Amino acid sequence: MSVSSVLSILFMIGGFFFFFTATAGLLRFPDFYTRLHATGKGDTLAVLLALIGISIHEGITLNALKILLIAVFMFLAQPTATHAISKAGMRRGLEPWTKKEEEQ
Amino acid sequence: MIHISDDIIIRTLARILVPFIQLYALYVIMHGHYSPGGGFQGGVILGASMVLLLITHGYGETKVRFSERGAVIFSSIGLLIYSGIGTLCLVFFGNFLDYGKLSTLLQVVPAHARSLGILGVELGVGFAVMAVMFSIFFDISTSGELPVDE
Amino acid sequence: MTTFFLGIGVGLCILVFFVLYRVVFGPGIFNRVAAISAIGTKTLVILLIIGYLYDRIDMFVDISMVYALLNFIGTLAVAKYLEMEGERK
Repeated sequence: MSVSSVLSILFMIGGFFFFFTATAGLLRFPDFYTRLHATGKGDTLAVLLALIGISIHEGITLNALKILLIAVFMFLAQPTATHAISKAGMRRGLEPWTKKEEEQ
Repeated sequence: MIHISDDIIIRTLARILVPFIQLYALYVIMHGHYSPGGGFQGGVILGASMVLLLITHGYGETKVRFSERGAVIFSSIGLLIYSGIGTLCLVFFGNFLDYGKLSTLLQVVPAHARSLGILGVELGVGFAVMAVMFSIFFDISTSGELPVDE
Repeated sequence: MTTFFLGIGVGLCILVFFVLYRVVFGPGIFNRVAAISAIGTKTLVILLIIGYLYDRIDMFVDISMVYALLNFIGTLAVAKYLEMEGERK
């Protein structure tokens, strides 16, 4: 087990962990804006870690450079898409979720 | 009429990303014989870059670079390249799209002439598909209403 | 090493099925659009893992790059359409 294999396994496990927590947030949060927090931030970091993990395993070749270019593009484009869809939700008048007081 | 987006983040990122998307589409067209890609796929990516410019900057700024009249001209140029290469093979005593007979015109061996003929045909297909994708998106999104100042 | 990547790929497929619940049952259209963008991101990683398992990763890199592009442009177009229709009313 060389050093690059161990590093690649560590990055992939980290990426899978953040994918798992982002999906758990998407299912369990109470409102649209909170779900957008979970999937916008968690998915971007998870994709970055997973792509770096795959590119470390390949070594220094042309394919590893192309995979790192995909990672740079996802880092720029995914937050922009999240921002656009949340602004569309605000303009249409979706109200944020507030915590109601419980009746005793 | 498609209006300009009043959000500076989306406008700036679209302005950064559109040239790189077009460069990637040209790479996909050129490497069609070796990796997944070719004429049609590269043309779709080029059309998608024009659609990105249209939905973030509106029709007023896209008209300066690529208008609806330009889409008509580009599709005709693509078709002219495709059938022009085919008819040129007919002139040199071959079948339609028989690229081997072009070797006397280009002064190369017939195998190299076939490769260059395929590349030319893919470029023509790419141009035509880009123009048609832009035209379809524009007609559907404005639902047939013509722009005011034309 | 191959079994490890296969395990990660199967785990990601199970996560895609969980997100499909939000696509079907999300109240309103905004939840569905956000969930479809999340499915597209997971599909990108699954494609690369399949390319590694078949030992031809140089073919699958181009495909996954194109899918990232189309996912981004599709989400922007849907957001613009939903925003504009609200103002026309």
